Amino acid sequence: MEENIREKGKEREEVRDEELLQLVLFRLGDEEFGVNILQAREIEKLDQGLTRVPKAPPFVEGVINLRGEIIPIVDLRKRFGLTLPPLGYDSRVIIVEVRGAPVGMLVDAVVEVIRIPVSAVEPPPPITKGVDAQYLAGVAKVGDRLIVLLNLDKALSPEESQELAEAELGDA
Amino acid sequence: MEISDYLRVFMDECQEHLQSLNSALLELESHPGNAEILNSIFRSAHTVKGASATMGFNKMASVTHAMEDILGLLRRGDLEVTPEIINLLFDAVDVLEVLARGIPEGREADIEITGILQRLKEYSSSEQKTPTAKDRRRKLDLRYTKEEKEQIKERLTETKKLYHIHVFLKEDCLLKGARAFMILREVENMGEIAKTIPSAKELEDEQFRFDFIIGLLSEEPVEKVVAAIEKVLDVEKVEGTAVSIDEIPDERRGYGDFVLQEKKEADEPAQSRLGTTSLTVRVDIRKLDELMNLVAELVINRGRLEQISSELQNRELEESVETLNRLLLRLQDDVLQTRMVAVEHVFSRFPRLVRDLTRRAGKQVDLVITGADTELDRTVIDEIGDPLIHIIRNALDHGIEAPEERRAVGKPETGRLEVNAYQAGNQVIITVSDDGKGIDREKVARVALNKGYITEEKLAEMSEEEIINLLFLPGFSTSEKVTDVSGRGVGMDVVRERITALGGTVRVTSQRGEGTTVTIQLPLTLAIIQTLMIEVGSEIYAIPTTLVEQTISVNRNEIHRLHQQEVTTWRGEVLPLVRLQDVLEVEDAKNLEYDELDVVIVRNGERRLGCVVDTLLRPQDVVIKSLGDYLGSIPGIAGATILGDGRVALILDLRNVA
Repeated sequence: MEENIREKGKEREEVRDEELLQLVLFRLGDEEFGVNILQAREIEKLDQGLTRVPKAPPFVEGVINLRGEIIPIVDLRKRFGLTLPPLGYDSRVIIVEVRGAPVGMLVDAVVEVIRIPVSAVEPPPPITKGVDAQYLAGVAKVGDRLIVLLNLDKALSPEESQELAEAELGDA
Repeated sequence: MEISDYLRVFMDECQEHLQSLNSALLELESHPGNAEILNSIFRSAHTVKGASATMGFNKMASVTHAMEDILGLLRRGDLEVTPEIINLLFDAVDVLEVLARGIPEGREADIEITGILQRLKEYSSSEQKTPTAKDRRRKLDLRYTKEEKEQIKERLTETKKLYHIHVFLKEDCLLKGARAFMILREVENMGEIAKTIPSAKELEDEQFRFDFIIGLLSEEPVEKVVAAIEKVLDVEKVEGTAVSIDEIPDERRGYGDFVLQEKKEADEPAQSRLGTTSLTVRVDIRKLDELMNLVAELVINRGRLEQISSELQNRELEESVETLNRLLLRLQDDVLQTRMVAVEHVFSRFPRLVRDLTRRAGKQVDLVITGADTELDRTVIDEIGDPLIHIIRNALDHGIEAPEERRAVGKPETGRLEVNAYQAGNQVIITVSDDGKGIDREKVARVALNKGYITEEKLAEMSEEEIINLLFLPGFSTSEKVTDVSGRGVGMDVVRERITALGGTVRVTSQRGEGTTVTIQLPLTLAIIQTLMIEVGSEIYAIPTTLVEQTISVNRNEIHRLHQQEVTTWRGEVLPLVRLQDVLEVEDAKNLEYDELDVVIVRNGERRLGCVVDTLLRPQDVVIKSLGDYLGSIPGIAGATILGDGRVALILDLRNVA
């Protein structure tokens, strides 16, 4: 996988004058998403028990102990209403920072880290891969792949979930 | 250090100086003739001026400069210390505080200071309007106070004499301060400088015209001293004479720099009421927090080690772990101690507050503070200030009566406000008492009735103290008018909220006509609490023992239903029960099937609640950790802790259940 990245990096490097965005790509269900690597603090395996937090928003799975710090774990698949295959061997938690507070995002797998030119990012269509545009920062076409960039603040902010929940009830 | 580090240091020191300026001005008010206090105020203002100018905070520098001018005149006796001047200086300090508050937000340069500057300059420039008077004063005359004379006499010997050396610099001398300094240095080689006029500081700041006088103790012939000084550049002339100490008139107010005194006391630490130099180190609070975290992790890991050690049954290992245990306990204690700050930090604001409030209200109050050295955790200190200030405001506004009223009921005209802090076991108790008119119980009851908080029947059953403590209900402000002093009924309910959030309690006792006492109890440290561990389903939770009254075992036959609520009897009373799995949304709880149930009786004020769990585990001291900013506060959860096996257990807040 490393060679892959380096090669891809070299390809990208040829576009030297453009500003590059470095993304961590991960999989939720069957789809690939990306976040800016600058927002990602670290990547961990979820090998310890998760402690459930009663009365927390539904997509908050619980909290874990990370070297003495209590980190809440969020299941983005629940958040976006995607299909939920059981967490497997490749499942990881990507620790990001939302408005200064650490949060762990549960993902099915971390795929790779890529660099794309900023100019390749376009505004997202209303719904992409089953996810509403308000949670997205943009989309980028890389080769024949469509990379979807997450807007972490919106995707992970708890207040939104209330409205979401109410909206869903309304529709039903 | 980066710029931001400088700024932090500046802000910290600035706060300290402003605080000491306030204290010193208060002292000056009671002792207007005290030169030592004036000097101390001058030094503080001078330091703030220098520091703020260096940092580029020109408005602060201007205000302190103007203050310095007045203080200089006060020191020299050109201006008398009057209440108007003291009030003006207080106002100036207030402006400095506003400026200081504006600095972190980058607003310092926008704040209007022309008003205070004008007022300050009125005083300092009024002197310039009478040049002849000033000239007369300016004729230098070196004198000593009685005490200073004694000290000089002690040093006089057959060969050592006192000279007064009057040095005149050339009028076109450019660097007067530097010259004067050089001369003083020269002179020091030949003897001991007793005193100079103007003072060394003023000489350094070039606050003199062209001449100054040195009082010198020396064994050299005076001509030698004069000749040495004359050699210095820019010296116009030097007049030196031997003087007889007894022939010099006494100076009643000591000003100028009595250098000798400082030298004599060099062996003893300088004792000043107004500012102590203690052996302290400034530490960034975040470093302390990190230290605490590390210690907490050690504590947790120690638990694991103990577990493993007992499983392995290795004696050497056990002994080692025991030693580790002991050391760790001490480390824990020490680190917790570093976070402890004396309440003095908060109490120091009160004298100024009381002064301002009583002046505006036309009342007279003596403020007595005791136990200011009692220590509290840093986070508690930060939060306890506002509630205390509110309580004091209440005491001064509603409690202590105006002097005429007090006289009419036979009380001394000056009221008494006592603020006391002391440690009792695991808690710190802070009390605020006044000898005012006490709380009107009927009024409180009436307001509570009107607001629907209680019924007539309930009222009849309540004790006097219970009635008074109704004050803590929201929306309670028994003052009919909104006074500037007490503010809009911010209310004791907010005070209680804040104190409860700190894990403490507050209550009021009062005697009509005699006074009121507000008592606050605070936990000594926030970070580690005793809890009872319980299990519901496969989940473990911790209940703080401060909430737990008792744990009991209840047979399912003893449980009845009353209005849809499960209850049992306990101590002859009806005890409502709640199954914790309902509160905590636990799915695999087992207690519904049990015959004998473990119940934790939780109390909230007067109310009791029985919480049914699956299993009572053990009592355990835990380190409270916050759930983090992302989750914020979740109802029913007070925090989290990390167990010995690394898992997270939630700490419950069961006060508002049922």
